Amino acid sequence: MVEDNALVTSATRILLEDAGFRVSTAATLSEAQRIAQSDAPAVLLLDLRLPDGDGLSILARLRDAGVPAPVVVALTGRDEPEVRARCLRAGCVEVLLKPVDIRALAGRIRSWLEPGAAST
Amino acid sequence: MKSTLADQLKPDARSLEERLAHFEEQHLRLSRQIAELRNEDAMKTQFLANISHDLRTPLTAIITHAEILRDGILGELNPRQRESVIGMINGGRQLLEMVSDILTYARSAANQLTTSHTEFTIEGLIDQVTTLNGPLIAKRALSLSIDVAANLPPVHADRDKIHHVLSNLLGNAIDFTSSGGQVWIRAAMATDEPRPTIFVEVGDTGIGIAPEHHELVFREFAQVDASPSRAHHGTGLGLAIARKFVELHDGRIWVDSALGEGSRFRFTLPCQPRQTE
Repeated sequence: MVEDNALVTSATRILLEDAGFRVSTAATLSEAQRIAQSDAPAVLLLDLRLPDGDGLSILARLRDAGVPAPVVVALTGRDEPEVRARCLRAGCVEVLLKPVDIRALAGRIRSWLEPGAAST
Repeated sequence: MKSTLADQLKPDARSLEERLAHFEEQHLRLSRQIAELRNEDAMKTQFLANISHDLRTPLTAIITHAEILRDGILGELNPRQRESVIGMINGGRQLLEMVSDILTYARSAANQLTTSHTEFTIEGLIDQVTTLNGPLIAKRALSLSIDVAANLPPVHADRDKIHHVLSNLLGNAIDFTSSGGQVWIRAAMATDEPRPTIFVEVGDTGIGIAPEHHELVFREFAQVDASPSRAHHGTGLGLAIARKFVELHDGRIWVDSALGEGSRFRFTLPCQPRQTE
C-alpha cells in the first residue's frame, strides 16, 4: 500500500494481515519503488496524491525497472469521472473513493487476485 | 437671448455631468466590491469543502482502529473495555456524519453536487431505511407504520440522495417523538403534478414545529432554538441538504405541523428526470 497517512496504512496492515495477506507499506513513490524492486507486490493499493508526486507515475517507473505488473487499485479523494478515467487508462482495475472501507477490502483483494474465485 | 439661456444652463449641465461621473464611479466601485465578496465567499466554501474532506480520512482511520480493538483482532477485550471502545466508534461515526453533512452542504453551495441516476422502487428504499432504523425505533418504544400505494412505478433518480432525504426525515421523526409515540411513512402517486410524480410523507406525533418556523427549518445552520430541539445533536444542515437533494430532482419538500401536534414532512419526486438533464 502506497499512502502517506500512517493512521490509514497501520489500520490497513492490521486488517489485511489478519485476513492472511503479507503487507508492505510505503509513504512515498521512491520508497514504494525501492520496496517493489526487492519484493514485487501482487496487488498495489495506490494513493494518487503522494508527497513526491502523482501516484500513477509509479506504474511506469516499475515497468521500466522490470518489476512484474501488479494488480493496481487506485485510492482517490476526488469523486470525478476524469480522475477515474485517467486511472483506468493507466491500467488500474478499480478506483476506490477515500476514505476506503478497509474491512471490505480483504474480500475484494481476493476477487481481484483470482477473478471468479473470491473464497480461495 | 439664446446665448443667455445657454449660459444659464451651463453650470447645471456641468453639475449633472459631474454627478453622472460620480455615480458611474460609485457603480464601478460597488461592482468591484460585489465581485470581491463573491470571490471570497467561493473561496471560503471551497476551503470548507477541502477541510471537511480531509477530516474524513483520519476520522475514518480512527474508527477502523477502534473496530480492530472491538473485534478482538489484537486480543480479546473484557466487556467493560469493549463497551468503552464501542463508545469511541459511535462517537466517531456521529462526528463523521456531521463532517459529511458539512461537506455535502459546501459542495451544494459551490454547485459541485453531481447526481448519478439509477432505477429503483420507493418501496424498496423505504424498506431499507426503516430496517436500518428498526433498532432505534424499538429502543425508543415508537410504533412505526408504512403505507405504500400498490403499483407505484419505479423511479429514475439518485438513489443515495433520496435515501439520504428519507433517512434524515425518519431520523428527525424518531429524534423529536417521545417514547410511545407514532411514526409513519406514506407513499403514493401525487395527484396534482404535470408529470408522473411520487409523493412521500414522513409523519410523527412528536413535539411539532410552530408555523412561523416552517421555512426556517429548511435553512442552513438553523435549529429552531426553543429548548427542546437543542437537546438533539446535529449540524443544523440536515433539512437544508434534504431540500437541495429534492430540488436537484425537480421535486418539492415542505412541512405541515403545529407545536404539540406532530409533524408531517412531505416531498415529491418526479418518476423520470427532465429530458434536458
